Amino acid sequence: MATGEEKPVMVVGVDESEQSTYALEWTLDRFFAPYAPNFPFKLFIVHAKPNAVSAVGLAGPGTAEVVPYVDADLKHTAARVVDKAKALCQSKSVHGTVIEVFEGDARNILCEVVDKHHASLLVVGSHGYGAIKRAVLGSVSDYCAHHAHCSVMIVKKPKIKV
Amino acid sequence: METYVDATGVDTAATTTEPTPATQTKRKKLKVMIAIDESKNSLYALEWAVDHLRDVLRAEPENDQEGGLLTLLHVHPPHLQYIYPSGGTATAVYATDSVAESMRKAREESTTKLFTRGLEICRGKMVKTETMILEGDPKEMICQAVEQTHVDLLVVGSRGLGMIKRAFLGSVSDYCAQHAKCPILIVRPLRETSTSKEHTKSK
Repeated sequence: MATGEEKPVMVVGVDESEQSTYALEWTLDRFFAPYAPNFPFKLFIVHAKPNAVSAVGLAGPGTAEVVPYVDADLKHTAARVVDKAKALCQSKSVHGTVIEVFEGDARNILCEVVDKHHASLLVVGSHGYGAIKRAVLGSVSDYCAHHAHCSVMIVKKPKIKV
Repeated sequence: METYVDATGVDTAATTTEPTPATQTKRKKLKVMIAIDESKNSLYALEWAVDHLRDVLRAEPENDQEGGLLTLLHVHPPHLQYIYPSGGTATAVYATDSVAESMRKAREESTTKLFTRGLEICRGKMVKTETMILEGDPKEMICQAVEQTHVDLLVVGSRGLGMIKRAFLGSVSDYCAQHAKCPILIVRPLRETSTSKEHTKSK
């Protein structure tokens, strides 16, 4: 079998939310775990760590001292996300995945990573915001679905019907 | 944007045990539904899906592995009445019927042609394919069909409308992305995918 270069590339965007973890797990379960060791895609898992300065800047003025703490906290969160992703991959016996962390806004990073790796498919979870939250907070999955230069798969965690 | 790349997950596969054949047999193939219409993007989406999802869809007789299911769904808008009987005379009623009849026939023909082309694309890929026709508002019918058939994945093409057009004309892929009860895969039209190395960032 040829080297991994010929395999199509799949990028999965993760953050620390449950929906994200669900999306990664669903993808691993359906597209990777059953096909070991010949996975149909080359997998990149990407986490976007928000920029400390921009995160604090939203809170208010005169908070220059807080930035290092915020930065440390964000780094911890990023490390947690990476560890969770790594553990998930190992528990499903999925090898050869590359986990990357970039700093900046999730929307832009995911689209740039898709270009960088010439991905065929981008997978994101979805927070399932309603219309208003979407308008205010913005939706990364929405943005990616319209701006990424590849096909996009949005995996939603099913809501438990009462 | 400064990038700091953290540890990679490129583990040494050699150290972990090979999966035993017993675990390999549990390959549940996906049930995938793809919504198609007569647009070029739609059929391209079908081609793309059959190509990239081939591994999770096809049957593997050599491994005694059952394949998944691919459903081609076509929704057409509800029957429009173009002629309203005026005066209620008998002849007017007959005229309406024959026009409606010929419209229905034309629509059936185009749907058949669409499915023929669709099935042609799926031929020889070892994928069990079925077709489904529904009538009504495409966005709602697609989401309903997903719910009723419990598919694992919905695939839709994308017209690649700009932001403004999308707001006014409405977008089926947008609506489905928000409301479908299963994961959704939106296939980008060909001209927008960039595989060339020098890609100018527009916007």
